[in-house]
Amino acid sequence: MSTSAHAASHAQRPSRSAKAGRTVRFRILRCDGPGKPSRWETFAVKVEPGANVISCLRQIAANPVTVDGKATTPVVWDAGCLEEVCGACTMVINGKVRQSCSCLIDEYAPDDNNEITLEPMTKFPVVRDLWVDRARMFSDLKRVKGWVPIDGTFFLGAGPRERPKSQATRYVLSTCMTCGCCLEACPQYNIEPDPEAWETSFLGAFAISQARLFNMHQTGKELAGERLDALESPGGLNDCGNAQNCVKVCPKLIPLTESIGAMGRATTIHAIASWFSRG
Amino acid sequence: MNSSENAPGAASFMDRNYFLLRRLHSLTGIVPIGVFLCVHLLTNSSVLWGAVAERGGHTGGWREGGVAYFTREVVWINEQIPHLLLIEITLWASIIFHSVLGIYYAASGKSNVSRYSYQGNWRYSLQRISGYVGVAFILYHVGTLRWGWTFLVPGGTEWSYQFAASTLAASLRGGNEGFTLAGVVVSLFYMISVGLLVFHFANGLWTAAITWGLTVSDRAQRRWGVVCAGVGAALLLMGWGSVLGYALLDPAKARAVEEDAALPHDKTVIGPDKTWRGNREGEHPLAEPGYPWPGTETAVTKESQEGPLQR
Ligand code: HEM
Ligand code: SF4
Ligand code: SF4
Ligand code: FES
Repeated sequence: MSTSAHAASHAQRPSRSAKAGRTVRFRILRCDGPGKPSRWETFAVKVEPGANVISCLRQIAANPVTVDGKATTPVVWDAGCLEEVCGACTMVINGKVRQSCSCLIDEYAPDDNNEITLEPMTKFPVVRDLWVDRARMFSDLKRVKGWVPIDGTFFLGAGPRERPKSQATRYVLSTCMTCGCCLEACPQYNIEPDPEAWETSFLGAFAISQARLFNMHQTGKELAGERLDALESPGGLNDCGNAQNCVKVCPKLIPLTESIGAMGRATTIHAIASWFSRG
Repeated sequence: MNSSENAPGAASFMDRNYFLLRRLHSLTGIVPIGVFLCVHLLTNSSVLWGAVAERGGHTGGWREGGVAYFTREVVWINEQIPHLLLIEITLWASIIFHSVLGIYYAASGKSNVSRYSYQGNWRYSLQRISGYVGVAFILYHVGTLRWGWTFLVPGGTEWSYQFAASTLAASLRGGNEGFTLAGVVVSLFYMISVGLLVFHFANGLWTAAITWGLTVSDRAQRRWGVVCAGVGAALLLMGWGSVLGYALLDPAKARAVEEDAALPHDKTVIGPDKTWRGNREGEHPLAEPGYPWPGTETAVTKESQEGPLQR
């Protein structure tokens, strides 16, 4: 998959010179808080050159009046880096999940009065408006022990050498920003508001890929067996139904389906080996 | 003990054996169910290619040869194949296991092709739809043709393994006299279901390779995808060819070939010349004493070589 083909899949139409000084309508699914009903509100924004969804949301926040002239509360969203590396601003734009900070208005709405639809992600509990709570993703990272175990009470010295080939494979896996796109698009990943149930709910493509990342790390390998045990348990790797939507929507172009295949192989070997050796 | 007390125990059995059950589900889809599907469609499609096979021992046209071959094959399966009961028990246990778990697993997902209409996502959804249709079809197919649910067969034909092709043709057409409307519906149901089940197997072969970790890289998954598509295309050709082959068969003509090709069906053997012969000639319920069976050295007449169709 080439980068340009991937970027094109996000754009609604081929990029062309957008009309200067035009107005774009934002149709936004709003919600006042957890458990509250949702409603649609539409805002008109005069877009500046190079505008993105976040910059338009800022304009709406500065003047929260709908197209019907009704004054309302400012739309709430989450953001951090504003350069597509933190994942906080992820939302559903025109029906597809992506980062809003890197979503250019010129691509999505090149003409006057074009409309852009914004919805919060559907697989996580809504905190307010476009802001969702992705805490479950961190619980999933804990399940697969997504870290290198180096904590201790004394200095352990330099770690083992890393091979360039494995480093090259691991680098792209390490760019995961826990944004949740792969989970939002996955037909096997369902919303689960109850944290009690997270332990046995599907942990999703990103966690499988992180388990692979740390199992390839020279020191991270220490926990390889435990990670594979987690992937073999309920809600683990086998809940994946191979729809392969995850790899299509990942903004970091992480080869998630290769990670799923690699961990499929590792769990097959691990399961057989432990059946013959476990006490 | 009420059911709510049972529930945690039941859930924990699934949970304790989660990995094993998932992998057994995947395995049963290929062995034995998938392998059976391949063999089954190969046998059924012999109505199209049986004329070129020696075992049919029929010297008529391609259609007569096909019917003759298929008849002998089915009689052989029903009377001579070793351990038929064991084969049937293994298959049924696997199909029930795979279907029950399949429906349970399918219920755990939520299709989203309307938003993410990628080809892979369509296949994911179709894998589940074809599973559901497959359960219905397998029940109807086996129920009507093996367990005698004739009330579900338009025309009420009872399938018989001694007259496999003619009774199958009548079941698909809705009787012995050409197509009825219900017959067209049944034939279409067969076409759709066979297509879906072949897709299910071919796509399952592709996903199973990821599940087990056989294919890891994107390119390996693509390469294997080409192989699976090839397997699927071949099976589809055989499956659809079979349904059409029998649906377009005149039951009366097929019956004549079957009677001609039949042998004393309780004691059939393969002769050293690889053709079929009866070792208790004349005991077939349909046979006149000394009826000339094709392939026997005893009474090869002009009539037996040309077959009754020319009569
Ligand atoms: C002709 C009969 C059948 C054959 C040959 C067959 C074969 C297969 C194969 C090879 C797989 C792939 C397993 C994997 O991805 O690891 C599969 C998956 C599946 N089958 Fe079947 N199957 C049959 C009937 C059924 C039936 C009747 C159902 C009932 C709903 C069903 C439901 C499923 C489901 C839901 C999956 C996906 C499981 C997953 O991805 O976790 N199958 N099947
Ligand atoms: S391949 Fe697996 S993890 Fe990825 S979207 Fe499909 S079901 Fe979800
Ligand atoms: S794998 Fe990709 S889509 Fe999934 S959380 Fe990481 S960066 Fe986001
Ligand atoms: S704000 Fe960090 S990815 Fe958009």
